Amino acid sequence: MLPRHTAKSDSYSNGYPRAKEKNTYSISPHRFQPRASPPALRRRRQLLIRLGLLVGIGLFAFFVWPGASVVPLLSLGFLSSGEDFQLETVRYYDLSTVQGTARGWEREERILLCAPLRDAESHLRMFFAHLHNFTYPHHLIDLAFLVSDSKDRTLGLLSELLEDLQADEDPKMPYGEISIIEKDFGQKVNQDVESRHGFAAQASRRKLMAQARNWLLSAALRPYHSWVYWRDVDVETAPFTILEDLMRHNKDVIVPNVWRPLPDWLGGEQPYDLNSWQESETALALADTLDEDAVIVEGYAEYATWRPHLAYLRDPYGDPDMEMDIDGVGGVSILAKAKVFRSGVHFPAFSFEKHAETEGFGKMAKRMQFSVVGLPHYTIWHLYEPSVDDIRHMEEMEEERKAREKEEQDKADRMKKIKDQFADPNSQWEKDKTDIQNEALREKKEKEKAEAQNVVETQVPADSKPETKAEAKADSKVESKADAVKAQ
Amino acid sequence: MGPVRSLRRSNPLTIVVGVVLCIFIFVFLLSPSSADSAASKARSANAASNPLSPPTSPFRKQNEKANGKRKPPPVVHYKMNNVTSTADPVGNRETILILTPLARFYQEYWDNLLKLTYPHELITLAFMIPKNREGNAATLALQEQITKTQKTGPEKHRFASIIIERQDFEPPLSSQSEAERHKMENQKARRAAMSKARNSLLFTTLGPSTSWVLWLDSDIIETPATLIQDLAAHNKDIIVPNCFQRYTDSKSKDVKERAYDFNSWQDSDAARKLGEGMGPDDILLEGYAEMATYRTLMAYMYEEGADINTEVPLDGVGGTALLVKAEVHRDGAMFPPFPFYHLIETEGFARMAKRLGRAATGLPNYKVYHYNE
Repeated sequence: MLPRHTAKSDSYSNGYPRAKEKNTYSISPHRFQPRASPPALRRRRQLLIRLGLLVGIGLFAFFVWPGASVVPLLSLGFLSSGEDFQLETVRYYDLSTVQGTARGWEREERILLCAPLRDAESHLRMFFAHLHNFTYPHHLIDLAFLVSDSKDRTLGLLSELLEDLQADEDPKMPYGEISIIEKDFGQKVNQDVESRHGFAAQASRRKLMAQARNWLLSAALRPYHSWVYWRDVDVETAPFTILEDLMRHNKDVIVPNVWRPLPDWLGGEQPYDLNSWQESETALALADTLDEDAVIVEGYAEYATWRPHLAYLRDPYGDPDMEMDIDGVGGVSILAKAKVFRSGVHFPAFSFEKHAETEGFGKMAKRMQFSVVGLPHYTIWHLYEPSVDDIRHMEEMEEERKAREKEEQDKADRMKKIKDQFADPNSQWEKDKTDIQNEALREKKEKEKAEAQNVVETQVPADSKPETKAEAKADSKVESKADAVKAQ
Repeated sequence: MGPVRSLRRSNPLTIVVGVVLCIFIFVFLLSPSSADSAASKARSANAASNPLSPPTSPFRKQNEKANGKRKPPPVVHYKMNNVTSTADPVGNRETILILTPLARFYQEYWDNLLKLTYPHELITLAFMIPKNREGNAATLALQEQITKTQKTGPEKHRFASIIIERQDFEPPLSSQSEAERHKMENQKARRAAMSKARNSLLFTTLGPSTSWVLWLDSDIIETPATLIQDLAAHNKDIIVPNCFQRYTDSKSKDVKERAYDFNSWQDSDAARKLGEGMGPDDILLEGYAEMATYRTLMAYMYEEGADINTEVPLDGVGGTALLVKAEVHRDGAMFPPFPFYHLIETEGFARMAKRLGRAATGLPNYKVYHYNE
């Protein structure tokens, strides 16, 4: 029901006074009070203000608190450009502090690990297992990969594995700077074992490999590196301490011996890397007869060089620290001081003293009076990839095995048939034998039980202790059970 | 009606607008660089997040986390298939690395660098300074100029990145005076050391994104301001301008100029024969009367008033000013510190580049000027 005064004509129906009325500001307790009317509106406004404040604080926290400095905020952005405060454009390096010493890990010497990759997807997981295991402090190792002309998923898998490695929970696991360099050289040469090791393809293949290595090194070498380690991804087994082991020798360039395991039918193991050798008179004489662009490659009958190879000098029980001066080096695992590369030694992509790539690298290092050393009795193992011949041989062996199996199966079948056709007296014999044995066994048991009963009966009156009574009870239980069994 | 109006005036829309404005103010206050020039934008876009980055790019100072934990560096991809070196380096935003083996610092050299019109945010400077008393003095003078340019200088003068390296071996000669260092018997040791300094500088700073390498000696005090664009426009693997020197004639007191760098030449049969008769460790030198090579020197090919874009093929190059496509160095062409085909340093470099299928070109009428001692 409406209050009576609302019916008056001088006010609105909501009790608000009409404009013509003089007492606009008079407050009448009976009137409807509009001030208290829009709490919903006010609440909404308050909510908005609070939201605005929250957003403001959030923005402030986001921009200022974690990283950025407060300077631009306080100076209202007038003090030069703020970003340039954060950017460092000048770097100073003293190269005499990065010479490389025998105990680099104590002096925090940084190593650049270079790995050239092409269609290497299948080997990557194995390589990363090696990376996990290195004992040299990981944060002192920078990784550089060159992915070139790959048709498989090398790049994708590599980035995945590297991201995982850097995000590892263990703070000792992530490595230093990580660069993946993508560069295609338009290489036509196949990477399968057969075409890779064919003699004719060697020279041009080695030159292209050299080019890739040089691109990788020149893009990744920094003024703070003391060592450079070249490692192929298809190494299957190597000591976790290989970096320290090689570094301890304190040589400018050093390589281990590289062998590979073989299936038993091929002799169990075999020297793999024939590019580490000492120069011979024969080879020097041969080099003089060749034209400027010729490249001598080792391990082929075409060039009989009679050089002493590091690989063939291995003695499994020899001293792993024994050193041997060499002139050509293999590229599977090279540790070199960074100053070697800084002074200009690289992997010649042309014929340098009749050699290219890693062998030319060894020659050039020697030319600049650096020490180049191999360790004949310190061995790492390259992955075994069967060659086409090996595969054929293995197929033959497989067939042979199958034939033999089939033969044995046939034989067994034949024997079975014979047995089925002629009733076998053996089974009857066996049956009889077991029956007799069972009989004998039962008799023996009965006898034993009877004896046991006698013993208990004699013991009980002699001993009246409660425990023994309980024992006796247990015994009698057993007996009664035994009796039950007997009764059956 | 008044009080009600005043309460309703600030409707939600105004508050929303206010908040949005606030956000904008914050954004502009806290990242002022985004409102700055395109050059500085490019600068910060190229910046690496870690000091272990290619030295050709600036890096962000690392804020040590409160818990002292080191954040491992990120995995960075470098697409080197996209690194080009073309005749239009400015249009293609190609980065250039200016390399200078520095023995003495000349103010004129620095002033000349600042005058180069090539966009400075695409230029990285790198210096190799020996570790001796002279080197220390040069370093100090250089650092002073760098601070002046990079911190307080005008935005367009600032270079993308500057690298100072101190040499890890002693120069073979204590004195760097001109008479001493040009003695023939001192040349081999001096130039071998010079090669090592050049190689150290080159291979530690090249990085994955450089398109061009300009070798510029610290005593080159005058070049055209468009030096880089002019040389790059020829689109050659290796290109050398002609290096001259201004001097005051002692008699007439006139300022004249004379040829200075004799290491840019075309080979001759006489030189080839001379080389064949030498031992493997001997080197051929240019500009000495005892060793007449009869090579055609670019220094004497200069013609007054002729076209400055005239090109000549060269077999040996000098290093006073030398523009090289980065890919030539990446393929392995370096400055041999040992006799390579009886050649050493920059001349050996031209030879090695040739073995890698890269040719050298000279511009006999395009002049740069050497300091006169």
